[in-house]
Amino acid sequence: MKTKQKFLKIVITLLLIIFSICMLVPFYWMIISSLKLNKDVFSVPMRWLPDMDNIQWKNYVTIWQKIPLLTYFKNSFKLATITTVIQLAVSCLAAYGFSKVRFWGRDILFLIYVTTIAIPWQVYMVPQFILVTRMGLNDTHLGLILMQAFSAFGVFLMRQAYMGIPNELCEAARIDGMSEYGIFAKIIMPLGKPSMATLVIFTFTNVWNDFMGPLIYLQTKELKTIQLGIRNFVTQYGAEYNLIMAASVVSLIPVVIVFVCFQRFFIEGVASSGIKG
Amino acid sequence: MENEKQVLSPKMKRKLKSNAVGFSFVLPSLLGYAIFVFIPVCFSLILSLMEWDASQAPLKFVGLQNFVTIFGDRNFRNSFIHTVTYSLMTVFPTLVISLLLAVLMNSKIRGITFFRAAFYFPHIVSVVAVGAVWNMLFQPDYGPINMFLKFIGISNPPRWVLSTTWAMPAVAIVSVWKNMGYYMIIYLAGLQGIDHSLHEAASIDGANGWQRLRYITVPLLTPTTFFVLIMLTIQCFKVFDLVYVMTGGGPGNATQTLVNYIYTKAFTSWKLGEASAAAMIMFVVVLAVTLIQFAGERKWSDQM
Amino acid sequence: MKMKKMIAVLLASMMIVSLAACGSSSSESSSTETTTETTKETESTETQDTSQAAETEESTELTGEVSISTWGYDTSGVAFQTIVNAYMEKNPGVTVNVIDYTSDDYNTSLGVAMAAATSDPDVIFIKDAGTLLTMADKNQLLPIDDYIAADALDLSVYSGGAELLQYNGVSYALPFRNDWYVLYYNKDLFDAAGVEYPSNDMTWEEYYELAAQLTSGEGTEKVYGTHHHKWEALVSAWAVQDGEHTVVAEDYSFYKEWYENTLALQDNGYMMDYATITTSNIGYADMFENQQCAMLPMGTYFMASLISAIANGECDDFNWGIAAIPHPSTTGAGYTVGAYTPVAISAYTDVPDLAWDFVKFATSEEAAALLGEQGVLTGIQTTESMAAIASLDGFPQDGTSEEALSYTHFVFDRPLDPDIEEVRTVLNEVHELIMIESYSVDDGIAELNERVAEIKGW
Repeated sequence: MKTKQKFLKIVITLLLIIFSICMLVPFYWMIISSLKLNKDVFSVPMRWLPDMDNIQWKNYVTIWQKIPLLTYFKNSFKLATITTVIQLAVSCLAAYGFSKVRFWGRDILFLIYVTTIAIPWQVYMVPQFILVTRMGLNDTHLGLILMQAFSAFGVFLMRQAYMGIPNELCEAARIDGMSEYGIFAKIIMPLGKPSMATLVIFTFTNVWNDFMGPLIYLQTKELKTIQLGIRNFVTQYGAEYNLIMAASVVSLIPVVIVFVCFQRFFIEGVASSGIKG
Repeated sequence: MENEKQVLSPKMKRKLKSNAVGFSFVLPSLLGYAIFVFIPVCFSLILSLMEWDASQAPLKFVGLQNFVTIFGDRNFRNSFIHTVTYSLMTVFPTLVISLLLAVLMNSKIRGITFFRAAFYFPHIVSVVAVGAVWNMLFQPDYGPINMFLKFIGISNPPRWVLSTTWAMPAVAIVSVWKNMGYYMIIYLAGLQGIDHSLHEAASIDGANGWQRLRYITVPLLTPTTFFVLIMLTIQCFKVFDLVYVMTGGGPGNATQTLVNYIYTKAFTSWKLGEASAAAMIMFVVVLAVTLIQFAGERKWSDQM
Repeated sequence: MKMKKMIAVLLASMMIVSLAACGSSSSESSSTETTTETTKETESTETQDTSQAAETEESTELTGEVSISTWGYDTSGVAFQTIVNAYMEKNPGVTVNVIDYTSDDYNTSLGVAMAAATSDPDVIFIKDAGTLLTMADKNQLLPIDDYIAADALDLSVYSGGAELLQYNGVSYALPFRNDWYVLYYNKDLFDAAGVEYPSNDMTWEEYYELAAQLTSGEGTEKVYGTHHHKWEALVSAWAVQDGEHTVVAEDYSFYKEWYENTLALQDNGYMMDYATITTSNIGYADMFENQQCAMLPMGTYFMASLISAIANGECDDFNWGIAAIPHPSTTGAGYTVGAYTPVAISAYTDVPDLAWDFVKFATSEEAAALLGEQGVLTGIQTTESMAAIASLDGFPQDGTSEEALSYTHFVFDRPLDPDIEEVRTVLNEVHELIMIESYSVDDGIAELNERVAEIKGW
């Protein structure tokens, strides 16, 4: 029995290794492309191994010189962090309201939330821009943060997480005389940690990788973000793919760090310890 | 109503309090959401009855004319069909694969952090790189995929992104590959909420892995599955970037999707009324699907 | 029941709130519109006074801030940078703020900014002439006829360019850059094949011949006779080169021979096939710089980047030259196809005079000379600016290349038509289907006829 399990584990691990390699192919390609001359990035037939004699480390220097990448980096970081914090706070609160407290119009309101996710941003981009401009928030980070922090997605995600937590827990606490705010802070929130981690990862990634939002809302160079910077290498007459890939590799680092830090919440496995009807 | 307010019964009072408390939770989100999302969305829905070119000219009410126009537009019909096809091809594979991956990733295997990161990678990696790499893999004449297909005896493999029939399946494959890690994360979070003791108890009763998955994990993951299903459907209907980098909507317009259509209508032709009308139709379809799933969730959780 | 009522009340009140908000925002926008318009009127009358005063005093010190919208300023905007720096040097009291958008999304971003009627940018560089029309149609551009008259600006220096950019008889823009198709060729590959260099008077048939002669090798060693990038324009431009047709047509049968010729090049392997170019993301610059093709029909804008690529060692040093683009057998030499990059003033600008001054400078002979030194061809072509280009380091010093930069007939690559962008979408889609041979040329033409007629309401 034991050896059989061990064998199974090895097979699974092997399978996972093969799978992960498939997943990482584009990343590998990004790295080797970022170390080439632009003219060599796309060659026919494609070359999967880097040309060791001709590695262009200087691409990683050029990207900082050609565009103010450091400023862009800071701006992206600021936007992603603040948006994530607001999003997290607001979504958890609302999710509790939508899942554990009964109030008039709750389900309809929630349905409105969910269905607006279905409307592509491209459609209400123009009215939204006009609105934000009238509020004097065009070309500010605040405008962009406010615009992205109140997404229905976060509310939906957290609400579903809280739905999975048995109501008996709340009822018990209510009988003990705990206020709704207390129940939220002391019982529900800790149990929803894995989903909060998910929301952090997703929001951070989204804001970090967002392109159209900053493109339309930010005009001043000093306020621009990293994705705008990367697109600078796509010019009217062609694209510098080696630099695009170098900048993309660099821009991946914070996202990966955030992912690795927060994914550990998925291993706790103790979330359920307190729940026993 | 007036009277009721003046003479509040204790029951009413309690109800009112519950309402106030409920609202207080929702309020911060609702305020921001109403201003920055809901109002613009409403405005764009109203736009579907108007004619507007995003200039300072006043809006002109045209009734249902925009809907008539786009229903008569073959590009709209085509992109609608393409979008539905794409959704049908991606939603279920992504759902199943991401669930299975999450179950695997929830075990204690050495290097689990690495594997999780690897599966999430396609979602964060630059979409330009994804498009470029997959286009090379799908290259019909000497790309690795067709080489492999020829090797296993398919003498006339599809021409993938260069064929009007196979371009959409190619995009769908990449989409599944790209998104399964994302939904895996959502499932992983959902799995943390499942009581371990249930599994242990089932093991003692002699349930095997498959049975535990089928009778414990899957039912307990219902809220998550519901979420994944709705988000996947919406995401499929909103597909834009991936198609853009892989095929640019081509060949011809074989992979033109709804958002692509809306985008062109809005920002190439500057017919925002027609773009909104198209979005409105998309909205109604997604709403219908969501409502069905909502009903499904109720029924499903009532059974439990 | 009560619940339902509450929901209804809630919904209704939300709708009212949102409608009121929408209503107020739109009424606000219309009120700002009227105010800007009135101020514009008063300003434009003042303008005439000041500009006349400026004429008499010659050098009135200009002060203030002017914002301009550009694309790819940092990475590919040498032309923009040159103008901005020169202007600020000339007018120390003026600050030029650059609002830069990415190249691909320039029209979208600009259009959204215009929808909110923001006072910036004041000066708008227009990426393709089609946008000029849609913006003019939406009253987003300031007519500049009064300014032209007040400054007694001589439009003949643009050799017809300024008139080409007029719309319904009104000037909204002046030509900043002017680019057209030329034929780049690799002298080393021609020498190796023992073929004479292309002349400035060559028909397309002769060009196809050359492409066949210069194709050699197999596999990774393959050298193509020529390289046509995947653009639809690299077929349609030759079809309209004689000036008889435009790309917005009721009957596209004049496309037939051009598609057949291009397909023949592809089928014979004289140029890389469309399928490979798209799936492998092949860039035209790389093809030419890697010496994988002997000829390359491409815009004059490629010149500056080719020179710098060789100078910076981004590719091997090889000898190249420029010839005039081949011409149809029905026309003589000197017919070329190209486009202008216009520069205009936003209707919502808060500094119209300063904006005009900037536009005037950007399209002046002075600017042309400065841009010539950067290898940029401008709306004005003076002997000095052309000489500046020909004397650039790295520009082929063979006499014929310099000569190739002149033309006798200039044909717009696309007509000034308000629906041009929509038509181009159709042209692109059908082009792709013909090139991957999913459509026959006749099928393609039939579809073009049908769908363009739908757009134009014919």
